[in-house]
Amino acid sequence: MVFSTTKQLYKIIIMEFEQLYKSYWQKVFRLCMGYVNDYDIAQDMAQETFIIVWQKLHTFRNEASIGTWIFRIASNNCLRQIDKEKRFPKSELPMHITEEKHYSLEPQILFLYKCVAELPEIDRIIISLELEDVKQAEIANIVGLSEANTRVKIHRIKEKLTQKFKENGQ
Amino acid sequence: MDNNIDFKDLWKQQAVRPPNIKELLSKLKYFKRVSLRKLVITNVLLIATSAFIIFIWYFYQPEFISTKIGIILTISAMLMYLFVYNKLVGFYKTVDRTQSNSEYLQKLISIKTKQHFLQSTMLSLYFILLGSGLCLYMYEYTSRMTIFWGIFTYVVMLGWIGFTWFYLRPKEIKKEQARVNGLIAKFEAVNKQLSVNE
Repeated sequence: MVFSTTKQLYKIIIMEFEQLYKSYWQKVFRLCMGYVNDYDIAQDMAQETFIIVWQKLHTFRNEASIGTWIFRIASNNCLRQIDKEKRFPKSELPMHITEEKHYSLEPQILFLYKCVAELPEIDRIIISLELEDVKQAEIANIVGLSEANTRVKIHRIKEKLTQKFKENGQ
Repeated sequence: MDNNIDFKDLWKQQAVRPPNIKELLSKLKYFKRVSLRKLVITNVLLIATSAFIIFIWYFYQPEFISTKIGIILTISAMLMYLFVYNKLVGFYKTVDRTQSNSEYLQKLISIKTKQHFLQSTMLSLYFILLGSGLCLYMYEYTSRMTIFWGIFTYVVMLGWIGFTWFYLRPKEIKKEQARVNGLIAKFEAVNKQLSVNE
């Protein structure tokens, strides 16, 4: 009896997780991609994020929206990357050059991700979330800034990006 | 808006198919295994060594008090090392990854600072305990040797302890500190991005 309920519960959690995975995979991947601008590393980071989501799902208490909760985990995982980069230096192969060819995206898209990845760490997270249509109040909540500060930052980052695009003739 | 560049549209064109969920769950198991393995190996190794030393005590029944004190010091050195090692692993486990970025960074900085302290202080303490424990322990057995071999044994042992103390220990501390300091500096720089309103 107890066994079957536990099994059922597990099934429900799996289903819930699958749902989250489907709706948030792309968004989390893009956040990671904006952070590192490296296809393979971004994919690994997105996977790590979902591993944490899976492990922590039972602690989610509806205090924030599930989106905010997942983005917090994802962005913290990005920040943790600093630690890992030092431990495992990236291979010397110019990986993203081959990736760019491989995935043949429009140059404008590639340029946008390149520009985002060149911003300071926190700015990368802020602008990625903004481009993902996350509400500014939520971005403030994820990053830990005031709403006013977040708004100002978003404005400035967009200006910077526009400038870079113009300079590059995109 | 945005001088006619629709960043949001560009951004969302970067699409990637999510990998199979089964692959993700199998990766999860692998992750758990790897992190557990290191923890288990260190613990088992040091506990086994301690158990072996206790076995010697029980089996050979040393007569001198110095031998017993030596054994206790050696074991406490290893237990202390284990305690600190497990505590450090625990630090990372307690970090709440669902906090906001700024809280998370603060937490990482505080962990790294603690790690910095523990590693340098504890490593020195570990060597002191282990070295003095060994010297005391060996006394009973060398006292049964001829003077020449007794002195010879101590010279070799002290030579080894000196080598670890003056060469290995500072090298290890320096290496670890450079790494941890670099990380703290980097985390603080990122944290500053949150406070500086420029």
